[in-house]
Amino acid sequence: MNDYLRSLQSEWMKTRNTAASWLVIIGSFFIPLIMVIIGMANADKLPGKYSSPVFWQNHFAVSWQIMAFLLLPMGVILATSLITQIEYRNNTWKQLHATPQRFAVVFFAKLSVIILMMLQFFVLFNIGIYLSGIIPLLFSKTAAYPVQGFPFVFFLKNNAQFFIDCLPIIALQYLISLQFRNFMVPLGAGIVLLVAATFAIQWKYGYIVPYTYAALNYFQLRSATTQMVPVNIHLLAVGYFTLFIIVSFIFYTYKKDKC
Amino acid sequence: MANYCVQTKNLTYSFSGKEAILKNINLEVEEGCIYGFLGPNGAGKTTTLRLLLGLLKKQHGSIAVFGQSFEKNRLEILKRTGSLIESPSLYGHLTADENLLLLQKIYQCPKERIRKVLELVGLTQTGKKKVSQFSLGMKQRLSIAVAILNSPSLLVLDEPTNGLDPNGIIEMRELLKHINRHQGVTILVSSHLLTEIEKLVTHVGVIHKGSLLFQGTLAELQSKQLQQSVLAFETGNDVMALRIIRDNELSATIDNGRIVMEMMEKEKVAFVNEQLVNNGVSVYSISITKNDLETIFINLTNN
Repeated sequence: MNDYLRSLQSEWMKTRNTAASWLVIIGSFFIPLIMVIIGMANADKLPGKYSSPVFWQNHFAVSWQIMAFLLLPMGVILATSLITQIEYRNNTWKQLHATPQRFAVVFFAKLSVIILMMLQFFVLFNIGIYLSGIIPLLFSKTAAYPVQGFPFVFFLKNNAQFFIDCLPIIALQYLISLQFRNFMVPLGAGIVLLVAATFAIQWKYGYIVPYTYAALNYFQLRSATTQMVPVNIHLLAVGYFTLFIIVSFIFYTYKKDKC
Repeated sequence: MANYCVQTKNLTYSFSGKEAILKNINLEVEEGCIYGFLGPNGAGKTTTLRLLLGLLKKQHGSIAVFGQSFEKNRLEILKRTGSLIESPSLYGHLTADENLLLLQKIYQCPKERIRKVLELVGLTQTGKKKVSQFSLGMKQRLSIAVAILNSPSLLVLDEPTNGLDPNGIIEMRELLKHINRHQGVTILVSSHLLTEIEKLVTHVGVIHKGSLLFQGTLAELQSKQLQQSVLAFETGNDVMALRIIRDNELSATIDNGRIVMEMMEKEKVAFVNEQLVNNGVSVYSISITKNDLETIFINLTNN
């Protein structure tokens, strides 16, 4: 366990000043910033909006719309590929594998860093959602703070679901990124799968495509009953994640050339 | 019996079932020595070193480091080993300190080692400069700092002078000698240039096309140099001189307008000279041509 924690610490340090770390910060505040601008541009509509008894639920859902369909999966694809690229780009796999660490420790420490970055994204994005709900009030003379109290449980539950839904993307992208030195391979594969998922959402068996879950969860959040799926997508996401991680670990461990 | 720090037995390796890159390599690196692993590009040096560090999966043969099987004691062996394989392996977006700090976490060595190794390689003044902005020489020195961070007992260096200017090569040589003498570190260093490491190493192994052609001390290689020295006669009539020498049951050849013979005792040289002069052949000069180590290396790898 200590070996894992030390390795995790070391892996986390590698993300300092990387494109992936900036992507998380910029990506998490992008939508909230747009929401603030929209709010300020439509200041006259704010009183009605803020007096709604489900203001935060609505605000949360609007904030997640493009995030769930495009930005979150795309961000996960990019961040995962960029994290493994740190080793390829710097030619450091050989140095890393010549350190006294079990391959399992390296594998899971790196995966943990990606997951931690996603958690960081979720925290920052939710702070952004909250701020984008509050900041427009500062520019409105008529609107008041939402009458509804902040629904912590709702936020926690739905964030947890979105988080679980993007785990299969992390796992599959991680698998591909570890196998290919060329950054374009995991990126290309990710984009192709994401486009496929966009079409698959319309299909009644679309839920078998592991990149669809964030979007499907969004439909469920908005209670779009026509898009409801007959299975628990979160369980499916966990299943896919486990499967991809096992396959990825086997490929990684048995890779003949560890340079 | 010698104590081997690294010992391989019949190490054989091929990529995807093609022709063997390494053929029965029996490397014997004595403890405390500086072992120069020589061979032209593509000879199999890097493949051997990668196998020693577990970066390639072993196919045939055995590897023992510190007298222990590498397969069974990978982590214990790597804890006591430092390495630099080919080009520098450094995180360009981090500073020199940060590069060392993240490895310090893994090796669990004291934090003071970072300052110490930076001092040793002369990189204490780099401050917040990112490694990507370093010159190749600085990167190479930082790579050495990375390799010695954990105070290893064995240092495996693959072409550490690649891309260095003559001054850089001398500095690197002095640094490695210092580490070897003062810290008792066994160094296994590969190169494709004998001249570059002959002033550094105590032992030499020459590999070519996957086979180990020579292995021994530098002194043994130098005695090979003496054995391969030749005697040259500059005469007025090479054809007649050659016939006279052969009539005396000695072997010689004509090379570049000279009669070339194997090295022999001085009495025999006087005898040949006398025979030539007595038979009317003018002898203008007699000289000894020594093969330098580089020529021996080329001869070994060309044969």
